[in-house]
Amino acid sequence: MDKSTIVCRCEEINIDEIETAIKYGAETFDDIKRLTRCGMGPCQSKNCIGPVNEIIANNTGKQLKDLPLTRMRIPVKPIKMKVLVTDIENSSIASVLAESVDEDGDNR
Amino acid sequence: MKTDVLVVGAGPAGIKAALTADRAGADVILIDESVFLGGQLRSQTQYFSNLPKNIDSGLGIEIYNELENQLNNSNITVFTNHTMVGSFKNGNIGVSNGEKVLEIQSKKNILAPGAQEEALIFPGWTLPGVMTAGAAQILVNREFVRPGNEAIMVGSNIFALEVALLLQQCGVSVKAIIEEQLNIQCKDTSKLGEIGNIPIFTSSRIKAARGRGKVEQVIIETPNGENELYVDLICVANGFRPILEPFEILNCEFTYKKGLGGWIPKYDNRFLTGNPNCYVAGNAAGITDLGPILLTGEIAAWNALGEIGLVSSIVVDKKIKNLWVELSRLEDEYVFKERLNLINNTSAIKY
Amino acid sequence: MEIKQHPILEKTLQDDIYFYFNDKKMKAKKGQTVAGALMANGILEFGRSRKLNQARGLYCGVGRCMSCYVTINNQYHIISCTTLLEEGMKVYSNNSDPKVGRDVIEN
Repeated sequence: MDKSTIVCRCEEINIDEIETAIKYGAETFDDIKRLTRCGMGPCQSKNCIGPVNEIIANNTGKQLKDLPLTRMRIPVKPIKMKVLVTDIENSSIASVLAESVDEDGDNR
Repeated sequence: MKTDVLVVGAGPAGIKAALTADRAGADVILIDESVFLGGQLRSQTQYFSNLPKNIDSGLGIEIYNELENQLNNSNITVFTNHTMVGSFKNGNIGVSNGEKVLEIQSKKNILAPGAQEEALIFPGWTLPGVMTAGAAQILVNREFVRPGNEAIMVGSNIFALEVALLLQQCGVSVKAIIEEQLNIQCKDTSKLGEIGNIPIFTSSRIKAARGRGKVEQVIIETPNGENELYVDLICVANGFRPILEPFEILNCEFTYKKGLGGWIPKYDNRFLTGNPNCYVAGNAAGITDLGPILLTGEIAAWNALGEIGLVSSIVVDKKIKNLWVELSRLEDEYVFKERLNLINNTSAIKY
Repeated sequence: MEIKQHPILEKTLQDDIYFYFNDKKMKAKKGQTVAGALMANGILEFGRSRKLNQARGLYCGVGRCMSCYVTINNQYHIISCTTLLEEGMKVYSNNSDPKVGRDVIEN
């Protein structure tokens, strides 16, 4: 297929960029995500995860069952920061805040 | 906000789970991110038979209407336009309509987010006019909009053929059905008869879709060479994949089962996931047909009810046994085998 | 491309509703989503992509691909396929990123 074919609709990452990342050592979706921004747009990889994993499988000879899922983080759908941080009485949101604040309370 | 059972996703599995819990006397909250209940069933005009014994065969939308009728006569609290966006440290679930976040404290959660259509990439697949078969079905049956005038369908599974047929009935000229595999995927021969005059190209794929601002032309590669077609609609039916985000948020484990649609949450014979408060139901527990989808909702609900203590374990065991017998009868043999295989490997989940 | 006579369903959408797309007044049916209303008016391009400036429109129809983003009543990035159309809505195509600084101050 034409290497300029878009795989990630949101960030407009094409096959060539993904294959380049694989050549540089990317083995999983999250590796490619960190190297290219693939899957980091508004849909948060909901659409490109399948095609990307197929490209990884085709390039590395790995089977789809051996390719891990991407990390899915909250919020799972675009939501205004204002809504997320101000309109909750008990605002100890588990994964966003627990992940981004270390023991000293500094943001990572 | 407190409840006995929170059901996430108001497709057929979620509605069935909510109704089952409600009838047993549980407080139930049912949420769905759409303004419409019923998931894709709400937009389906194909005929469904092979259903659980208390449900009449009919068009998808008729079966949905009956479920909606039962919802209206229940005590279930329904929130449409509310998405599960995250969880709190205390395990409560955050649900938002985009304006406010509700914190829901439930004794048990039943997650039934359903499935999404798998993307298929080709040059030009981002052009307006390229859409999933499900989107085309929604446009016709819910929005009363004809999505194009001249179309091709990519994929030859039963869903692809059903949507191609629907488009044709609406006056869309379906010029071709393209199948990448050697054989037509739909096993239902009567469906093949119905689509009659639409040419099906097997061992074929889209080389490119072209157009300025929208699809105008598609080039297909067939064993007999390239074929240029002038179309303004390309529908893609590339199969379904379980939706997983709610399970990740609630720390459920995942496993890969090809016959169930790829990555899915691990669950045991109670449809209990790796999180002891979360059950799974519907297509998220493995891509299957409407009958089994409804049954999994019921099985998950009875197990949740038993665990909460609203129903005695003797009643639960009896219900579950019958439901599993029915599931084995209604479900595709291969899918059922994969399901059993998953469950037998899941006893290792420890709490 | 409205379907006036559906091949299977007897009940179609009845009540007319008016809205604006890029300042042009358009007619649709009550009960349609914004995406459905746009397509009923023959509009397929809902916006342009950010990097390559390519046309985008309805793709998944269930609020998961974000390809159908539009601006509605000054709110950016609204998922048009899951938003019900309301009378008088001012819909604009999603053509550029919001001017974040200004928007934060105004809100």
